[in-house]
Amino acid sequence: MSPDQLFQIANPLALLGWLALLAAPLAPRAAQWVAGAAVPLLLSLAYAGLVLAFWWDAPGGFGSLPEVQALFTHPHIALAGWLHYLAFDLFLGAWEVRTARAEGIPHWAVVPCLVLTFLFGPAGLLAFAILRFTLVRKILP
Amino acid sequence: MTAVLSAPGFALLSRPHPLLLRLTLLVALAALPLMVAYGLDDRLFQGDNVWLKPLKFHLALTVYTGTLALFATLLPEGTFASRRWTIYIGVVAACIVAELLWIGGAAALGTASHFNQTGVWAAIYGLMGAAAVTLTSLSMVMGLVFWRHRVDPLMLAVALGLVLTFVLTVPVAGTMSSGPGHFVGTPVTGARFPLMGWSLEVGDLRLPHFLATHAMHVVPLAGLTGSRATVWATATGFTALVLWCFARALMGLPPF
Repeated sequence: MSPDQLFQIANPLALLGWLALLAAPLAPRAAQWVAGAAVPLLLSLAYAGLVLAFWWDAPGGFGSLPEVQALFTHPHIALAGWLHYLAFDLFLGAWEVRTARAEGIPHWAVVPCLVLTFLFGPAGLLAFAILRFTLVRKILP
Repeated sequence: MTAVLSAPGFALLSRPHPLLLRLTLLVALAALPLMVAYGLDDRLFQGDNVWLKPLKFHLALTVYTGTLALFATLLPEGTFASRRWTIYIGVVAACIVAELLWIGGAAALGTASHFNQTGVWAAIYGLMGAAAVTLTSLSMVMGLVFWRHRVDPLMLAVALGLVLTFVLTVPVAGTMSSGPGHFVGTPVTGARFPLMGWSLEVGDLRLPHFLATHAMHVVPLAGLTGSRATVWATATGFTALVLWCFARALMGLPPF
């Protein structure tokens, strides 16, 4: 399977997880199963397979910015990097929904954080941390 | 099936061994990313996808520890629960994980695991030989526990199967691993046994290794007949088969 084909499968899969999170108040447990386990683990499985199969061939490394940029010139490794984003962002989104529910933060207030996490991962984490701190004075998980 | 299961002396006395059961699950699940890699990777090692060998080892070790976990159900609860057993099985588990990391790591790098005589790989190869003997020794040591219950034909069969797995595997695998490779002779046409991949034109020591290691499955089946004579005959016959295949392979001849 070409990296492009895998990319075309991975994106809708992640989107499914995000839709489940948006609808989480309707079915909290199902949403956690989809967005907190099934989809991130499936993406992680694909990631692990990609790294096992292509890491030997990857240029660059982690030591400098040009090295990291070189790493992403390899299509399979770039795809792995993209799956890394998709999996971790979604897993984080599921954690935000779970935490908000446990601490009585209303879902409508979490939705903007989810959108940010979906689009700009760490910015969403920051937004959720600020929201959570202002409402329940907590930062640590 | 019901008739077989209710044969005299066949009773499940305990749950599967918890540590061995968890190890079995771990080894099986850890094969999942290797299957993905198998599907994505085009590299070949000696004519096969580089990930075929790690997958074979995951399958083989899943079957091995799974079988041992299930055999433990035939003995009273707590037979293998002492501190000494737990430490020993823990060491075996560490050896199994080390073997799989080594074989998988070599595949990821597209290099040889067994028979690799370059640099640090040669040192690891030696260590892994010791780990392989250690992990195989569990069949022997468990077999000796079953031997104490040998009045029951099934227990006798399990004991013989487990002991034979160690006693036959170690010399065959030891001979294979101390040579230059698993072939005796040089394949020309590349004709191979379907699925299993053993050579059909020269000696291939993987066949006697495979048979030797599966003594623990073949001989216990004879125990289900409830006949001690059948058990002893099977153990003897199977040993002869392994030795015959071993001898043929050493002579550089295919088994058939």
